[in-house]
Amino acid sequence: MSKALIIDDEQQMRRLLRMVLEARGYEVSEAADGQLGLQEAAFHRPDVVLLDLGLPGLNGIEVLKRLREWTDVPVLILSVRDQETVKVEALELGADDYVTKPFSTAELLARLDVIQRRRFTRQSPEITAGLLTLDLLHHEATLVDAPVKLTPTEFALLKVLAEHAGRIVTQNQIIRQVWAGQSSDASEGLRVHINHLRKKLGETGPRIVNEPGIGYRLEAE
Amino acid sequence: MNTESETPKPSHHPVPVHVVGQFSWGLTILFVLASACWMLLPYTGYLFSALVFLMAIVLAGTRWNRGPVLAMGVVSALVWNFFFIPPQFTLHIDKPEDMMMFGLFFVVALSMGHLITRLREREAALEQHHAEREQLLEAKHRAELLAESERLHRTLLDSVSHELKTPIAIIRTALDGLGQGNPYAAEIETANRRLQRIVENFLEMTRVESEALKPRPDWCEVIDVLDQATKPLERELAAHSLNVSGIADMPLVMLDSRLLAQALGNVLHNATLHAPANTPVEIAATLTNGVLELHVRDHGPGLPLGSEDHLFDKFYRAPDSPAGGTGLGLAISRGLMRAMKGDIEARNHPEGGAEFTLHLPVKTRIA
Repeated sequence: MSKALIIDDEQQMRRLLRMVLEARGYEVSEAADGQLGLQEAAFHRPDVVLLDLGLPGLNGIEVLKRLREWTDVPVLILSVRDQETVKVEALELGADDYVTKPFSTAELLARLDVIQRRRFTRQSPEITAGLLTLDLLHHEATLVDAPVKLTPTEFALLKVLAEHAGRIVTQNQIIRQVWAGQSSDASEGLRVHINHLRKKLGETGPRIVNEPGIGYRLEAE
Repeated sequence: MNTESETPKPSHHPVPVHVVGQFSWGLTILFVLASACWMLLPYTGYLFSALVFLMAIVLAGTRWNRGPVLAMGVVSALVWNFFFIPPQFTLHIDKPEDMMMFGLFFVVALSMGHLITRLREREAALEQHHAEREQLLEAKHRAELLAESERLHRTLLDSVSHELKTPIAIIRTALDGLGQGNPYAAEIETANRRLQRIVENFLEMTRVESEALKPRPDWCEVIDVLDQATKPLERELAAHSLNVSGIADMPLVMLDSRLLAQALGNVLHNATLHAPANTPVEIAATLTNGVLELHVRDHGPGLPLGSEDHLFDKFYRAPDSPAGGTGLGLAISRGLMRAMKGDIEARNHPEGGAEFTLHLPVKTRIA
């Protein structure tokens, strides 16, 4: 049974999330502010943390920083709209994904599943995302058994997205991994290659969804 | 007093009235003093009158302009020479000390004038410097006040936003927990969605009006803007078929996709409100001379006559609008477009239905 920790200052929100998560079989603990949240995290060692960004006192970003000093537990950010810069900051500090209030329960549970699945140790030199398979050994991509011709940059880009399939990857995270050390207009290059990748993956392949101001998400299902 | 030193090119201006006054006063004073000294001459000796004249010049020098003081110097030197120095009634001077004294009149008058002018210039410069400093301080103060009020405004907006959105989010999650199939729950959900739209519109309108809205352009694909605009409207758009053209071959464009998506989303929402179900909504994108245009056309009744001018006014609602709605959506769209140096227009399509055009200047790159 997975253990979940909810850090949110709204009591009603905590109560509801507890009901939703317990119905899913989670063992739930909760905290009303950042300080208590950090204590709970150390005490209960949760498998996943739901962290509200708008906490009073010690804010969400600060909690995340302190959490990341000693644990890499998956963290899902609960945010409201128009917090793009804070969301990006949280994601770059090591949060795994976010949902925007008001969110649907289905969306929340799906995100929680995906971010807990991420701790895989790669056993084979292959990544699968839906109908797409990436052979890391031979740098080959196949879509429903048909090979897809990709340039080295496109392959590297698709690899980053596929490794995080279903999860948001920020623009900077992609740029750091694909264009490390290059100082050209990386944002522009990224769009160009995303555009090409989308054309090559076509309708059958996984969708590359843009989340404006934040980054990209490969939607495999 | 010292307006002369403040005028940039005094020589090009007529002599000011107060300077003429100083000349006449100077001569009058000299006349009075000379008469008095003339009467006292038998008792005091002629050097006494020289000292009286000098004192008058020095005093005049502390208050008057250079010209009148110099004139006083010249006149008193001549008067003293002619009337007082023996031999009287000639300009001839015998003794060397008298000659020195005669010269002293000019030296004193000149140096007084010079000193005073310099002093006044420095005073004026100081004053100006002071005024500039004041102005700078005031500007800085004003900027600080503005920043402070903007910060307060933002904090207030954030907190109001949080307070209004939290209950809506809680209702949403609770309704999800109730599950599908309950018709009462479905009604609550519809109302809650409407409430969410109203709250978001009010907050966005406030943001647009407070100019707290700073576009952050980045390279993006127009298709992503469209995706983002239609995603929150899935339910409303389900009753319409969306025909998109001109977007597939668009180059990359430099714009704030979040703002444009929101402006477009409001226009689309407006179309779904007014066009009957099962009619198509058409979106066409064009790019000409660095201007991106998005045309949204519906197949509804079109715009009421004469409403084109008011359509984008805050709280304006067309006479035949369905109930609900705040009359803010299109006003927000216009605000957002203008914040991005673009705009939005509406007209009736010649073949029926309303057509909205969003346009803004963009940089482009072939993808």
